[in-house]
Amino acid sequence: MTAVDAPGAPDAPDDLEPDAGGQLPTPPPIGPVDPTTATLLDEPGSLAAFAAFRHNRIVRVAVRWVVLVGATIAIFCAFLLAKGAQPDEVLRSMWETSLGSPDSVGETFIRATPILLAALAAAVPARGGLFNLGGEGQLLLGAVGAFVAANALDGGASSAVTLVCMAIGGAVFGAAWAAIPAVLKVYTRTNEAISSLLLNYIAGIIITWLCFERWKDPISLGQAYSRELTGGERFPIIWGNRVHLGIFVGVIAGLVLWVILRWSTWGFKLKVLGGNPSAARRAGLAVTGLSIAAMMVGGAMAGLGGMVEVAGTEGRLRPELLAGYGFIGFLASWLARHDPLRIIGAAVLLGAIAVGGSGLKITAGLSGGAVNILMALVLFAVLGWGRTSESEGS
Amino acid sequence: MIEAVLTGAVAGGTSIVFAGLGELTCERAGVINLGTEGSMLCGALAAYVVGINTGSPWLGVLAGIAAGALLASVHAVMVLHRHANQIAVGLVVTFLGTGLTSLFGQDYVGKGVQPLESWAIPGLSKLPFLGTVLFDHDPLTYLSFVAVPLVAWGLWRTRAGLILRSAGEGPEVLEIYGTSARKVRWIALLVGGGLAGLGGAQLSTAATLNWSEGMTVGRGFVAVALVIFAGWHPLKLAGGAYLFSGAIALQLQLQARGWEISRYLLESLPYVTVLVVLALLSNRRIHGGPAALEKVFEG
Amino acid sequence: MSRTIRALAIVLGLTMLVAGCGSSSGDSASSSASSDGKFTVGFIYVGPKDDFGYNQAAYEASVAMEKAVPGVKVLQAENVPETAESEATMQNMIDKGAKVIFATSYGHYEFAKNMAEKNPGVTFVHQGGLKGDTKLDNLGTYFGTVYEPVYLAGIAAGSVTKSDKLGYVYAFPIPQTLANINAFTLGAQSVKPGIKVITIATGSWCDPSVQSQSVKTLLDQDVDVITQHQDCTKTIIEATEAAGAYSIGYHADASSLAPKGWVTGSEWNWTPLYTDIVKTVKDGTFKGSKYDGDFRVGLQTGDNPFVQSKYGSMVTDDTKALIEKAKKSFEDGGSPFAGPVEDQDGKVIYAKGKQPTYAEVETMKFFVKGVVGKIG
Repeated sequence: MTAVDAPGAPDAPDDLEPDAGGQLPTPPPIGPVDPTTATLLDEPGSLAAFAAFRHNRIVRVAVRWVVLVGATIAIFCAFLLAKGAQPDEVLRSMWETSLGSPDSVGETFIRATPILLAALAAAVPARGGLFNLGGEGQLLLGAVGAFVAANALDGGASSAVTLVCMAIGGAVFGAAWAAIPAVLKVYTRTNEAISSLLLNYIAGIIITWLCFERWKDPISLGQAYSRELTGGERFPIIWGNRVHLGIFVGVIAGLVLWVILRWSTWGFKLKVLGGNPSAARRAGLAVTGLSIAAMMVGGAMAGLGGMVEVAGTEGRLRPELLAGYGFIGFLASWLARHDPLRIIGAAVLLGAIAVGGSGLKITAGLSGGAVNILMALVLFAVLGWGRTSESEGS
Repeated sequence: MIEAVLTGAVAGGTSIVFAGLGELTCERAGVINLGTEGSMLCGALAAYVVGINTGSPWLGVLAGIAAGALLASVHAVMVLHRHANQIAVGLVVTFLGTGLTSLFGQDYVGKGVQPLESWAIPGLSKLPFLGTVLFDHDPLTYLSFVAVPLVAWGLWRTRAGLILRSAGEGPEVLEIYGTSARKVRWIALLVGGGLAGLGGAQLSTAATLNWSEGMTVGRGFVAVALVIFAGWHPLKLAGGAYLFSGAIALQLQLQARGWEISRYLLESLPYVTVLVVLALLSNRRIHGGPAALEKVFEG
Repeated sequence: MSRTIRALAIVLGLTMLVAGCGSSSGDSASSSASSDGKFTVGFIYVGPKDDFGYNQAAYEASVAMEKAVPGVKVLQAENVPETAESEATMQNMIDKGAKVIFATSYGHYEFAKNMAEKNPGVTFVHQGGLKGDTKLDNLGTYFGTVYEPVYLAGIAAGSVTKSDKLGYVYAFPIPQTLANINAFTLGAQSVKPGIKVITIATGSWCDPSVQSQSVKTLLDQDVDVITQHQDCTKTIIEATEAAGAYSIGYHADASSLAPKGWVTGSEWNWTPLYTDIVKTVKDGTFKGSKYDGDFRVGLQTGDNPFVQSKYGSMVTDDTKALIEKAKKSFEDGGSPFAGPVEDQDGKVIYAKGKQPTYAEVETMKFFVKGVVGKIG
């Protein structure tokens, strides 16, 4: 029966790390349990037994992953063959474009950064049991916020101050955009997944308007984009032609959030809320404030992502900015089960696949959208088979 | 102008009505399917390809239904057998559908398909006002007129509908009576995916006679939003779909009439409308939803 | 936590393995790409190469160019977004040996410019943008005077319309589109001054569903000739044909889609220009050539890569004569925008006896009198 009624089925014994200090109480599982609560259910065993068990499991887990990765690649190749493409050629060119040379690794990190921050935007609310599908729009609004700050300073501050203000601007705008579904959820019980999804389309139209009208660069010779951020408004290039300092923003944000979610009271409250909202309410948690805060922290992360994109990679606001990255970020969060540290890895993986798409176009003459297949297969493998068999119930 | 807007609402709303009915079927059985967007794309492409290769748009429509259902079966496996989160998997299914149609649709962009012609119903189409609004469309639009009450009737007046809704309300009870909730949900997902595929097929073989990558432009997601908006009721769902496409038709009409309104405001009108109505109605809707569905959202 | 890291390591390791096998088996292919002495040319497109439109026209010309110039190998990339991601795609082509890169979409300009700065050994040519005052020796832009054939098509549209209302479906108010809408309107008004052109912006380069509704909306307004500036053109032309209205094509000859209502249109013929540009670079004479700047070719200067499509049967000899006359005047240095030209509010934009420069046309931001619609 658990098979049918618990969509986020418990995967309790999955996370093998001994709980941090073991100070977290293990509450009896009440009702359906979300994967986000997994660490609550960890069972610390005796160290020796644990080591043996672990050794055994590493082997099994490794075998499992080899099979999963093999199957993923095999299915992808089957689709390519069905299309009449050469799988070896396609995979090789994807590899070369995404990880095969120092330049392409740099490109992967550039692409991974907005994915990482959008993933954090999904992860924080998910910890509290909320679905933020609005990463896409929050990224865009963050880019807008960064521009608002840069325009206000108008070059009147040092680079460091300017960038910090832009980051704050991006985070505030992203948070404000995420606050809309949060407030609607709390006060009108509007489903936040749906409202945040709809807000993406509206954000897209706002960006188009800014690029074509309000903020159109007067010297753009007709191109629809904003002015270019220059000098102190840009992250310095640290390596090669394109890799900029902003790629560390995502990693740092991930680490900070990991600490906060794992060790702060707030992180713990969020986990309780995500685990069982009614229990949280009974326990006297300020559910309303907590929910709104979780969405807003998430939105702030995506907003930072938009800021890094314009202050680092793009330099301008454009109608096509970051299309699709919010959704990829959402999936990265699920790939990593909303753990900020894992999200860093997941974002790099999905970023590499996204970058591989451009190799796909050039060498194999395939539509770049085909990499979505590979992303989907990876996600299926992890979401469906990434957990150990013992934890799956029936 | 009212007549033109309503006609446009019906013509543009058909694909969303089908996709929404599909989603509604799934959600009534307790599964939310964000893969609807992907099913629509697969349906649109499959109908187009089969329509071209066989010369029969109707075979194309059948292929569209099959393709939509096939993609939904991936969702079924992941959700019903692998117990993965429905929201996340749904989005991944849409990624898969986008990728597959992008890969295999490449050779069909701009190719000519035998159209599913509009057919004005003799007599009825001559009625003042209603004639053009309702009775001068393609056959699939008429089918959607029938499908909406049919789904409503099926859900509330038949034994199968009762079982389906039970899977969404109290699967435990269903099991006690010896019916597998998983089986019921499988069927609901196949039907739902098929309906979404049908919506996509309408888009490619009747409404636009075209295939282009990502041509549904988010209509599948809108359908998911509308199901909640409609409080999981087919008739209200159709109303929501027509409201959404009516907002598009209205903004086109206003542009063509040279109204001095920012086109960006006009473009955001359909999304803002749905969002506002959703927010206004949600307070009353929350308990109209299938119980098992709420568990998806409340963890 | 650690397990996922391990898993990722395995994923990456395995991918590496596969890629390694792939490259060892495919080595001959990759080395042949760079060592067989072929001159490599890269093309990037913003959309799919079979869209019956802008990208298809450029793609077909690139293939024709490859055949026309001996020793040339072409790399293609479709659906390259107009963001910094396009730089990565261009870099990729350079890594694969490209010596010339054609950035064919308007929005690719800035990225082509950036890449030109960073890669002095590679020549970048951009389709549609304006180089302005950039001094780079390895960057140029080129385009046809697209509004000329559009004006000529406007004459044909003005001659066949009975309602004196024409429809124009477009995506975004970019200057090229605005210039086309204005040229089309002025062309039609040269036949019947009272003609109105009703515009609808779809907010997307290709949303077939909104396109088909736009056609219906225009027909509701008594429009009987419809033209467009969209990337995918099929839906609009077929919907227009089905309603028994006239079509004016854009991008490509789509007369097969509208056997009854096809009037004329404008289509691309990039092959001669592409061929000449590639030859110039290959011969090492790009720097200082006419392509090393903002090359604009129109009826006055010769081979406009944007040509008029064939006529439908309803176009009379009188109309054809009118069109020939206008064409002759452009060849002699005239312009579709020769003053006086007024905007929607009746303000004179180009005074009598004046005509705008290329740069003014390509940064145009107003609708002429007689256009129904709002830009912002």
